[in-house]
Amino acid sequence: MEPKLRVENLSVWYQRQPALKHVTLSVEEGEVLALIGPSGCGKSTFLRTLNRLSEEQVGVRVSGSIMLGDLDIQESHVDVTQIRRRVGMVFQAPNPFPFSIFDNVAYGPRLQGVADPGTLRKIVEQSLRQAALWDEVRGKLRRPALALSGGQQQRLCIARALAVNPEVLLMDEPTASLDPLSTAKIEELVGALRGQYTIVMVTHNLRQAARISDRTAFFLDGALVEVGPTRQIFTAPQDNRTEQYLTGRFES
Amino acid sequence: MVRGRRLFGLSAVLAVLGMAGFVLVLGSLLKSGLPLLTWRFLTSSGNVGIGPEILNTVVLCSITMIVTVPLGLLVAVYQGEYLRRQSRRVRELDHLRATLMSAPTIVLALAVYRVAVGWWHWPVSLLTGALALSVINWPFMVTVCRAALSAVPDSYREASLALGASRFETVVRVVIPAALGTLIEGIGMALARLAGESAALIVTTGVNVSQHWSLWGPGETLAVHIWYIRTEGVVSGRDAEAAATGVTLMIGISVVLWLSNRVAQLFGRSEGGYDGT
Amino acid sequence: MSTPSVTDRMPRRTAGLAAGLFALVGIILVASLAAGAWPMLGAPRAAANLIGAVWDPLRGRYGVAPFVVGTAAVTLTALVIAVPIALGVAVSIVHQVGALGRGGILRVLTVLTAVPSVIFGWWGLQMVVPWVRAHVGGPGFSLLAAGIVLALMILPTLSLFFAQALSKVPNTLKEGSAALGATPDQTLLRVELPFAMPALVNGLVVGLARALGETMAVQMVVGGQTAIPAGLAAPGATLTTQIFTDMTAFPPGTAGHAVLDIMALLLLAAMYVLVRTAERWGSR
Repeated sequence: MEPKLRVENLSVWYQRQPALKHVTLSVEEGEVLALIGPSGCGKSTFLRTLNRLSEEQVGVRVSGSIMLGDLDIQESHVDVTQIRRRVGMVFQAPNPFPFSIFDNVAYGPRLQGVADPGTLRKIVEQSLRQAALWDEVRGKLRRPALALSGGQQQRLCIARALAVNPEVLLMDEPTASLDPLSTAKIEELVGALRGQYTIVMVTHNLRQAARISDRTAFFLDGALVEVGPTRQIFTAPQDNRTEQYLTGRFES
Repeated sequence: MVRGRRLFGLSAVLAVLGMAGFVLVLGSLLKSGLPLLTWRFLTSSGNVGIGPEILNTVVLCSITMIVTVPLGLLVAVYQGEYLRRQSRRVRELDHLRATLMSAPTIVLALAVYRVAVGWWHWPVSLLTGALALSVINWPFMVTVCRAALSAVPDSYREASLALGASRFETVVRVVIPAALGTLIEGIGMALARLAGESAALIVTTGVNVSQHWSLWGPGETLAVHIWYIRTEGVVSGRDAEAAATGVTLMIGISVVLWLSNRVAQLFGRSEGGYDGT
Repeated sequence: MSTPSVTDRMPRRTAGLAAGLFALVGIILVASLAAGAWPMLGAPRAAANLIGAVWDPLRGRYGVAPFVVGTAAVTLTALVIAVPIALGVAVSIVHQVGALGRGGILRVLTVLTAVPSVIFGWWGLQMVVPWVRAHVGGPGFSLLAAGIVLALMILPTLSLFFAQALSKVPNTLKEGSAALGATPDQTLLRVELPFAMPALVNGLVVGLARALGETMAVQMVVGGQTAIPAGLAAPGATLTTQIFTDMTAFPPGTAGHAVLDIMALLLLAAMYVLVRTAERWGSR
């Protein structure tokens, strides 16, 4: 089967500083890929290049190709907003808009021109159900999103991303700012979404990667060291550096 | 007094002194002005009232705000949302804005007078005054909008962009709604500042009230009226009338500031959505 | 930020156009003043005339020194009076008022910054001019009266900036100083004020700009005399008040009007310098 995402020879520079060097990596449809590595290793940069959010920053230069299906998203004629509708993103800190819960989830569909209240309500309910938040907010959709707890806010952000029906979901350390209970809920949720969506997730938490991902990629100093089935990476890494990282010999 | 707290005591004395100064200003204004403040004074024209002055002030402020709010917002959006932060163009626009904003209004009026009256042969009129006020208020509005927009966290912008919104959609649907409270409060401050403007208007809209009201005719405002009858007027002893006009102006300004603050809190607190369906 | 989104093209162009128009207005302002000033500035003999101390348009003498001196004297007087009081207000707000009252006081100060200058001018005529006449002597209309009125006028702005500057000093620093046995006064003098200095200077510059640019409040009480003032109690004129009183007296195109344009350019240049200074101190 064709991979969902095929990244070839991807390099990224901030100003003159290389942040990512010649990364080649494929993501299969419906799998959960975890990106691990010490801070500043380029895994977040990699993630942000997949929906071209990196180019919003000053002085970023990208080379190489990223194929989403059979579309090269790096090509200049490709409309970046179209890409971002196909590749959703969840951020490190929950960042709901200062609107109601309903308006948060309805934001994406409304951008695409969905105006019919009935349709919107259906999309919002379905997305909140998928994000396992529906039971907690049912009947309170008019409440401000910022009144929710941190974990609920993050699941709201996931619902918001799902509402535009993306093919790929990028998650940038989605549990980094959450307590253990909320973290467990998000992990459970990722497990439930596996198969339906292709998920690429950056995490600092090695156990989390081991628990929920199908495959794991290890980054170091802007380069991809190795990628393989999660079980294999954690039990029998091919590369010496991977083993050193997993046994805690790098500062993370 | 506690040992080692002398400076704090001195500070308190100075603070009381400063506050006393303002009580003196506003107190004497109220004392001289309030007795004259009748319904007839507010609505009649000529020597007995300030009806036309109130109308002119409202008209001038309205035209100026209608012109400068969208223009100010556009410049702020261009600088903050479309250009790169810290880019040279942003810095140059900021220098221009700050210089124009702190420039004496009479200096701006001098230039507007030369261009509008000297080159275009506009009469000294409400319209010329509106042009001068717009030039005066545009940099202020840009400042207000810049501050309000940049207080919106970047994480909102990122979330919106990641959902496939364009920069424009992000500004209209997320950034401006999130900044609405601050924007409204800033617009209130701008209105208060405009209502009190006198120097620039004396030379561009004049100190007369025309018989037949028109935008092309002269139109004295409240602030100008205070100056005129207190310093240039031929009849002496009209202090009280100036004070009553001053009280009217202060009441107007206070109401504008209070209202904008209330409305701003309304938007700030409920953090309301953009269309409510 | 090079998002080449199709939906962004039109809005981007519109906003860019507005910014371009904004810059154009700025350029036209300066250019029209420069065009008006050129007949004077372009002629060496006429320009030399400007530096003089005598203002006598009927005899063709256009020395601007009286107004520069007047502006400097009024502004300095205002700052000397207002800065200590504003510091007092700021210290009191930060140290002696509870969080609840603080919001209220800051709100009142914000409203006071919006009191129109003619109201201060009115008060100046009502109280300050007679007071100066009675206690200092002279006609009462004077640089001193203008300075006092102006001091009160810039007080709310200065206080707000100073209070904000002082409230940014981290508590850990103050506690650290107190833990070493410093009295509250010593902490204020040796820790808080030095730490807040860049922001304090920034506020001072903003207040200075307001004082330099004020026209009406000063015009109403300064007396309008165009000779070099003999002292603080003597009447005088400032750059702004002179532009105001003479701009309708000298129609555009006359030599007198050209001098007013030069004074306006001088003020604009001063504002630009102040803006850059404030920026430098603010970013420290």
